[in-house]
Amino acid sequence: MDEIREGSIHHTALKFTEDIKQMKIYNNLYKTVQKLTCSPDVKNDDMKNTLEQAMKKHGLETEIRNIVFHLIRNSIKSEVKFSMQTNDPLNYLRRAGIQWERRVRKSLNTMCSELKTTLQGQLRKEQEKEELSNKWTELSNFQVDLSNYRPVYAPKDLLEVLVSLKGPAGANKDDGCSNDDVIPRWEFSHIALPVRNLQELRTVFSEILRNEMTLNDWSATCERILSTRHAPLCQQILKKGLTPILLRGKIWSIVLGSELEDHHNEYWEELKVNVLNTDSIVDKLVFKDVQLTATNDDQYFVFEDVIYQVMLCFSRDSEIADMIKTDWLNTSKLKQYETPQNNIVPFHGICMFAAPFCYLYDSPIALYYTFRAFYVRYCHRLTTINTHNQGIVSLCLLFEKLLQTHEPSLWSHFRELQIQPIRVVFKWLMRAFSGHLHPQELLILWDLILGYDSLEILSLLAIIILSFRKESLMQVSTIEQIEAVLADLSSIKVLPLVQLALSRD
Amino acid sequence: MAYDGNKRLTATNLSTMYGRITHNENARMKICFCTDMDKSVLLNNFEKRGWMQVTADDDWNFYWAGTQTCRNIFSVDSGYRMHDNQLINHFPNHYELSRKDLLVKNIKRYRKDLERDGNPLAEKVNDGGINGPKYLYLDFIPVTFVLPADYNMFVEEYRKNTQSTWIMKPTGKSQGAGIFLINKLSKLKRWSREAKTSFHPAIGKESYVISRYIENPLLIGGKKFDLRLYVLVTSFRPLKAYLFKLGFCRFCTVKYDTSVTELDNMYVHLTNVSVQKHGGEYNNLHGGKWSVQNLKLYLEGTRGKKVTEKLFGGINWLIVHSLKAVQPVMASDRHCFECYGYDIIIDNNLKAWLVEVNASPSLTSTTVNDRILKYKLIDNILNIVLPPEGIPDVRWNKVPSAENLGNFELLIDEELAAQTQDDNMLSGNMTGGKPRTNNRWK
Repeated sequence: MDEIREGSIHHTALKFTEDIKQMKIYNNLYKTVQKLTCSPDVKNDDMKNTLEQAMKKHGLETEIRNIVFHLIRNSIKSEVKFSMQTNDPLNYLRRAGIQWERRVRKSLNTMCSELKTTLQGQLRKEQEKEELSNKWTELSNFQVDLSNYRPVYAPKDLLEVLVSLKGPAGANKDDGCSNDDVIPRWEFSHIALPVRNLQELRTVFSEILRNEMTLNDWSATCERILSTRHAPLCQQILKKGLTPILLRGKIWSIVLGSELEDHHNEYWEELKVNVLNTDSIVDKLVFKDVQLTATNDDQYFVFEDVIYQVMLCFSRDSEIADMIKTDWLNTSKLKQYETPQNNIVPFHGICMFAAPFCYLYDSPIALYYTFRAFYVRYCHRLTTINTHNQGIVSLCLLFEKLLQTHEPSLWSHFRELQIQPIRVVFKWLMRAFSGHLHPQELLILWDLILGYDSLEILSLLAIIILSFRKESLMQVSTIEQIEAVLADLSSIKVLPLVQLALSRD
Repeated sequence: MAYDGNKRLTATNLSTMYGRITHNENARMKICFCTDMDKSVLLNNFEKRGWMQVTADDDWNFYWAGTQTCRNIFSVDSGYRMHDNQLINHFPNHYELSRKDLLVKNIKRYRKDLERDGNPLAEKVNDGGINGPKYLYLDFIPVTFVLPADYNMFVEEYRKNTQSTWIMKPTGKSQGAGIFLINKLSKLKRWSREAKTSFHPAIGKESYVISRYIENPLLIGGKKFDLRLYVLVTSFRPLKAYLFKLGFCRFCTVKYDTSVTELDNMYVHLTNVSVQKHGGEYNNLHGGKWSVQNLKLYLEGTRGKKVTEKLFGGINWLIVHSLKAVQPVMASDRHCFECYGYDIIIDNNLKAWLVEVNASPSLTSTTVNDRILKYKLIDNILNIVLPPEGIPDVRWNKVPSAENLGNFELLIDEELAAQTQDDNMLSGNMTGGKPRTNNRWK
């Protein structure tokens, strides 16, 4: 047994060594080691030990540890390997995922043919290129005619698909079910995805409830931890939900492995040149989306110009396509449709995932890479139909189970009104509350997402907000009125509410 | 019904015109308000409190007046004498603070007085700059002259650095009217020639201030902004002032650009909503307004907590000292309170500069959030200026309870500060300015 484990560790180490050699930072790493080897600290007669010492001293050890940490984190796929085995009860969900993906791609392709353009776009005219380049930092003043463009899809479109998901279990339920009209078939409970109950969540999020430190010590502790630059330790800081505001940007980039290196700047320039050179339909969709959301948002409008830059470069980033490559996205059914270079079909509100980062970084480049890492790891799961245990389907299911168990009166209220509870919270979940919470609170929520590496906190917060406004909710009876009760979340304080949610019975 | 109410009130009018209302009557008294301004944020607040609207000729308890009305009421000619249960929203000579030329004059005098007394606050440093020594603690307004009176002084200053840009503002106007930038003395000369021969001879005389233009404003998202903060003063002697925490930043719609060609583009330089509204880029969902809380969050996240706290401490500091500068000349009538709109610009070294003070900040709401904010502002003001019984009474010591402060925070209360000093107990609830300076506010 030990032998096998030993063997597998060896195998993994070899694999990671190869992986690291393929990475852009490898050259720099290698050069640094070469330099260290030549330094007087490293002795010829005891090369191994002295070099190790020197690497530790130089911080190189931490750097390599962090690289391995991110490699492991990103290579673990909680998603069960895709196989069309007929007995897997989740196959229908995967099929739905592919269908959805095909639908949005088809929709984008149709838009292209209607507008007589292609997804690759065409070269910009010299004059337009120059104008775009001049206005790169003030893209809000770059005039684009957007009258023919509309977002490819919006949260409600994804929601409609989700609530109509029918699994084999769901179909069985129908047998002889006489009160079919009374109980709407929109519950997620037929989906055989494992979700945690409150007791289990309490164990996972236990750090939120432990607050023995005074804030003064805490800030100093955080700085000390940050100075080690050790990714897993930095991740621990975030678990408290009390991240010092100034350190947040640095901590997030260490935890997500998105600290700026030279190659990042170079690649950003490449992306920018790509935007300047080619005119793509995706650009119009980016402009449209920013104008429909961030431009009108009194929390984010000042960052409009930065968001344009970031989202345009995002659309050209083929590295994203590699990072989110999943087996099922490669099926032949999808290959018939073209996609943007990043393999992401933009949707209504996508730029709101980038907007909160404007409060953390002055430089669009630093902002870009941390946003990108966050998007790939979290947002992507929220906007596709997938079987990930923190994907949007699991979060909906978690929300539903928690509501049913812990707010039975609200649950039955919704049921009497024939309103699906998920309808009133879906946009919060899909956007991870961006644009709904005050930025200060939103960043705390995202601290927790990063700290626990979990999106389950979204369902938990959604539940407690409903609980918190239960009295008002119980008094109203239409979806419009319910939405009005829940429209303004500016007074919501994330940490105390989550603590409350976790500590109740 | 309304008629009956008025009639009963007229009856009490006569009996109380020159006398004081006894407390028994107070308890049953309905508050009568009067206002020149048809603003919903005001009327909604008064109605919510169950107050009754009367005309200026009736006996009113609370008057939300325009500055001119207020001056008329206090003028000797009117012969109006206010009784103990009346409050009005302006001090009679608010212009000492709100007129650009007088504000500058008062601040200059304040510095000189402190300097003469050898007060450490008036300490000067020579930072090696071409403009000579600067006040270490009181350098919070851009160098400013009144034209044409100080023309020669201005020219002297101008010659020290001919590269600077200056901003000309008519002293009596507001909302960005009549403002222009100059970067050459010849432009000013041409302007003054034209002004003299114009149909308005008054314009050429004593009606402009010229200030050094803040050429390095802090830009966020590449755009310039200024701060609009609300400051409530309930008394000048002793000074009692409160700062409204829900201030906002007003953004220009166009990217900041110092090039000469953009010198005449006021959308670049002026943040006034009344100016920006006419720009094509104006967004009426947020109106270019961004909350001070968001500014704090952004600055703490990108620049750090210490510098952000220093900036906001500096803002409190400049507010307090601008008020202290006018303290000796203000008629501190106990019937008065006033809410000032402070316009402040932050430069890219995170230093705050006082641009001007408005005695009648706009109560017009440009967006939904703006309406909520202004409604809260009025509500919170009323909670602070009214004694606990809810009836205006000049005999009250004007110390509101902590829960009545709402979104205001205490900047300075000289009376309380003196008491705490007497008790030899400097408590932590003095929030104004930098802690080390608390005991200097005397």
